[in-house]
Amino acid sequence: MFTLEGFLGLAPYMRMFFEGMVTTICLSALTVLFGFILALVLSYMRMCKIAPLRWISTAYVEIIRATPMLVQLFLVYHVFLSGVSFPTFKIFGFIRFERFIPGVIALCLNSGAYLSEIIRSGIQSIDQGQAEASRSLGMTQWQTMRYTILPQAIKNILPAIANEFVTIIKESSICWTIGVQDIMSVVNAVKAATFSMAEPLVVAACIYFCLTFPTSKIIEHFERKMSRGDKR
Amino acid sequence: MTNDNLIQVKNLKKHYNKGAIKALDDVSVDIHKGDVMVIIGPSGSGKSTFLRSLNLLEVPTEGSIFFHGIDITKKSFTDENGKKVKVDINLHREKMGMVFQHFNLFPHRTILDNMVLAPMKVLHMPREEAETKALGLLKRVGLEDRANAYPIQLSGGQKQRIAIVRALMMEPEVMLFDEPTSALDPEMVGEVLEVMKELAQAGMTMVVVTHEMAFAREVGNRILFMADGKLLEQGSPEDIFEHPQNPRLQDFLNKVL
Repeated sequence: MFTLEGFLGLAPYMRMFFEGMVTTICLSALTVLFGFILALVLSYMRMCKIAPLRWISTAYVEIIRATPMLVQLFLVYHVFLSGVSFPTFKIFGFIRFERFIPGVIALCLNSGAYLSEIIRSGIQSIDQGQAEASRSLGMTQWQTMRYTILPQAIKNILPAIANEFVTIIKESSICWTIGVQDIMSVVNAVKAATFSMAEPLVVAACIYFCLTFPTSKIIEHFERKMSRGDKR
Repeated sequence: MTNDNLIQVKNLKKHYNKGAIKALDDVSVDIHKGDVMVIIGPSGSGKSTFLRSLNLLEVPTEGSIFFHGIDITKKSFTDENGKKVKVDINLHREKMGMVFQHFNLFPHRTILDNMVLAPMKVLHMPREEAETKALGLLKRVGLEDRANAYPIQLSGGQKQRIAIVRALMMEPEVMLFDEPTSALDPEMVGEVLEVMKELAQAGMTMVVVTHEMAFAREVGNRILFMADGKLLEQGSPEDIFEHPQNPRLQDFLNKVL
C-alpha cells in the first residue's frame, strides 16, 4: 500500500504541496472573514422586526443547508459566474484568480448560512435581562449589542465557531473540482505523474491536520481567556 | 403641571391578546420629586408591568407617561419654540436608574467595569473620572475591596448593592426598583434594604415594587395598592396599613402581615 520509495518520490513535488497549502490557507481565511460578515448580516436580518427581511434570511439559510456544497459550488462557478470574465492573473504567482474567487464566493455563501445560525443561537441564548439592564442605563440598541450581548454571545458560541472554521478548511478541498490548485488538486497532479495516490493522500491529510488542529487550539485559548467571569 | 411633578402617568393601559388580558387597566398616578413610592399587591397584579412601563422596557398599549413634561410614549413632541423634536428614549432612561429582581450585572465584566461602562459610553466620561466615582460609590456600600471581582464571585446581596450603585453612576433623577429583594436569601435582604433606605434619606426619588411590608411602612411616603392591573388604593403608609378601605387591600394585608 505505502512504500518508502513512494514517499521519497514525492520530494520533487514538495513545492507544489507548499503552494497548495498556501492556496488552501488563503481560501479558508477569506471564507472565514467574508463568511462571518455575511453571517452577521444574515443573523441580524433573521432577528429584525421587518418581516420580509426575516423571510429572506430564513429561506436562504434553509436552502443552503438543504443542498450539497458541490452543487452550490458548480452553480456559482458554471452558472451564476459563467458570464463574468475575471482578470486572469496569479496571486503570489500560483493562485489562479479567475478560479480562486468563485471558490471563495461559493464557500462564503455556504459557511455564512451555517455561521449565521450559530450567531443567532448565541445572541438568543443571552438572558433578556442583560439587554434590559443595558438599555435602562441609557445605552443605545447598538451599544447594548456591542458591549453587552455580543461579548457574552461570542464566548458561548466559540466552540461551535471553532468547529465551523475547521469545517471550512476541510470543505475548501472541494474547490479543486473547479480548478483551484489547493492541496487536493496537488494530490491529483502528483497521482497523474507518479501513478500512485496513497502517499500524496497521506501527505495531504497531514497538511490538513496541521492547519485544523492549531486553529481549534487557538480558538480554545480565546475561549479560556473570555471565560474569566465564570470562575468563582 | 407643577414643577415637583417628576413623572405623570395618565390612563396607562397594557393589553395582551387583543385586550383579553389587561396587565394594566387605566392607571394614573403622579410621582413627585423626593417621593418614595412603594407599590404593593398580589403577584400578577401589574406592579412590575407598571414599573417597567415607566422607562418603556414595557411599551404600553394606551396612555401617556410624562417625564419632565414630555410624553415619552410618543415618537416626538413640540418644544417651546413650536418645533417638533424627536423623543430620544435613551436620554430619559439615563435619568431613570433601574434595579432588577435578578440583578442583571454583566457577568463578563468586573464590578468596576460594570459600573464605568455606561458613564463612559453614554456620558463620555473619561475612564479615570468614572473609576474614581465608582470607587467612591463602592465605598458607600462597603464593597470597595470587590472592585476587581467578577459578579459570580459575589453573594446575592452584594450583587444587588452593586446593581444599585451601577445605576447611581448615571446620577439618575429617579430610581426604579423591581422587587429588588425577592431573589435574595433572607439573611441578605437587610443589607440591600439598608442601602435603599439611605438612598431615600438622601432625598432620591424612588419607585419600589416590593413584598417587604416593613420597608414599605417605614421608608415609603406613599403606598400604592394594585390588583388585577388596577390601582385600587393609594395613600400614606398609615392610611394603607392602619385604615385600609378597599376589601381587596384588607384581604391582602391580612394574608401578608
